[in-house]
Amino acid sequence: MNTENKSVTAGIVDDDEIFTYGFKKITAIKGLFDEILNFSNGKEAIDFLKDPQNKQRLPDVLFVDINMPVMNGWEFNKAFEEIKSQLGKNITLYNISSSIDLEDIKRAKSNPIIADYLLKPIDEQYLAEIFRSLQNAGDLRLYN
Amino acid sequence: MSFSESHKFSGEGIAHIARIIDKINLGIWEYNTDTKEVKWSSGFYTALGYAPGEIECSYNFFFNQLLYYHDKEVFLKATQHPRQGGSPVAHVRLLTKLNGYQWFENTTQKHDTADGPVIYGVLKNIHALKISEIKVTEAEFKVNEIGRIAKIGSWEIDTATMGLTFSKEMYDIFELDDHVTMSVEEAIGFFEPHYRKTLTNVVNEALNYCKPYDIELLFKTAKNNVIWVRSKGVPVINDHGKCVTVRGIFQDIDSIKRKGITLQSSINLLDDQNKRLQNFAYIVSHNLRSHSGNLKFMVNLFEEAKLSEERTEIFSHIKTISESLSATMGHLDEIVRIQSEITRERKLLDFETIFNNVASALHTNIDRTNAVINTNFSDCPQVNYIPAYLESILQNLLTNAIKYKHPDRNPVINITTRKVGNEVYLIFEDNGIGIDMQRYGDQLFGMYKTFHQNSDSKGIGLFITRNQVEALGGTIQVESAVNIGTKFTVKLV
Repeated sequence: MNTENKSVTAGIVDDDEIFTYGFKKITAIKGLFDEILNFSNGKEAIDFLKDPQNKQRLPDVLFVDINMPVMNGWEFNKAFEEIKSQLGKNITLYNISSSIDLEDIKRAKSNPIIADYLLKPIDEQYLAEIFRSLQNAGDLRLYN
Repeated sequence: MSFSESHKFSGEGIAHIARIIDKINLGIWEYNTDTKEVKWSSGFYTALGYAPGEIECSYNFFFNQLLYYHDKEVFLKATQHPRQGGSPVAHVRLLTKLNGYQWFENTTQKHDTADGPVIYGVLKNIHALKISEIKVTEAEFKVNEIGRIAKIGSWEIDTATMGLTFSKEMYDIFELDDHVTMSVEEAIGFFEPHYRKTLTNVVNEALNYCKPYDIELLFKTAKNNVIWVRSKGVPVINDHGKCVTVRGIFQDIDSIKRKGITLQSSINLLDDQNKRLQNFAYIVSHNLRSHSGNLKFMVNLFEEAKLSEERTEIFSHIKTISESLSATMGHLDEIVRIQSEITRERKLLDFETIFNNVASALHTNIDRTNAVINTNFSDCPQVNYIPAYLESILQNLLTNAIKYKHPDRNPVINITTRKVGNEVYLIFEDNGIGIDMQRYGDQLFGMYKTFHQNSDSKGIGLFITRNQVEALGGTIQVESAVNIGTKFTVKLV
């Protein structure tokens, strides 16, 4: 790995424990992401982001499931938009779901704060691309 | 001065009168009942299309050849028994030379002369008049018949007097025997209270602004039958554009309207079922997709993993997925069963007995949470229902009430039944954690919708309950307040 590359932290927001386990495992095997944070629903993630103590630990990218108890993906998107400007860090947001409902897909894709909507099971190649682009984005920022 | 005044006629005068009689455009005849002598004026022949003398001038010829057989009785009645002083009038058909039978009006007088009693009469062709009269009667009859068959009455409001006139059928629809006159307000009073204002408004708009209307309303007849009617009004305006009359029809559309309403409710029901099925298909696809996605994910990982501890862990997840898949299939079976069980026989069930069965099955949960359950089935102790459904409904609601108990207090659950008319309600109240209705109200009965961070929430219970209730034509409603409790009102039948 290029030592000049910025370290990239990802957060996974999903109540599905098996999926979360798999996500962590595959990224570990493929050497993607330097750290993975794990939240079991939207509220946990928002609480973490809002806590000033976590200022230095904020993720670069968040993968947010749609169907979750307490605070679902749609509610998270809305809450995130409200606190976005106070975070002091640009966090890329992806929605992930096994829903192939066109309404869901349209809803996520038409939201400007959502980078993309990923269908489960997640495509490893695409995950790797996301990781690299974030690493490079870090480079650009470093040199500018 | 009349012709018969003072009974004085000069010789020339009599000849003059005879001329008048012969030339007049009327048939004049005379018949001496003693001598059987008959006299016909020239006009008599002309009226029948003959030249004088062209046909035999006799009573027999008249009676047998000229008079239509059907009119003989009428003619005899008028001529043989002429009323004293009056001039009986008979309308009879006579055979003319060229135009077949034509209608004539015959006026008869009886007079005693020196030669014996004489009957004389005047015959006038009234064919055109009579035909149009018959046509008018026929048309009127047809209009009434059409009104009666179509159940359409017609009415008119005269703007100047505000007088209201009704056709015959109007009274039939009103179920009024007497053809009484009534005011516009009185007529409006026959409509159901809810519709009176609407009708008053449209009638006023027709009168004041010449605006036609066509509306459907509920109407109560004089015999207290409530029926659907259609009222349509069209203003008739004068040269100055002012409304002089509002004319309209009034139609009994009860059977059509009620069929329409039934049809609409069937459509709504089908629509609901369709939506449920679509939702169901979507849910099935979503859940199976997420399990199968995870399975694929784990199998890939299993292949990639090198350490045996890793493989053991991944395999344990594969086992979990396999169990989840079976559980999902079980839920699907349960939902399919709701539809298949719907044809099962309903039985008269005791709420008390069914509840006791359910409570004893759940007694571990009840005891563990120190739940207090108060039941009161006295208002409606029994219901005609499918046993498996009632059991399942009670079990799901009771399980929910215990599962979502408030952490700071023991559960108190009140279960009552109520009978309202023919409807049976089951009311289920708890003091649990409640649910934010504004946020989740519309999803509460959805499949796999969970709202609490409760590891044993599966989001299937209420979905099943609603499907069972609705499959038997009932409804389920919920009121809830966070930290206070939840109340389910189930209309069973």
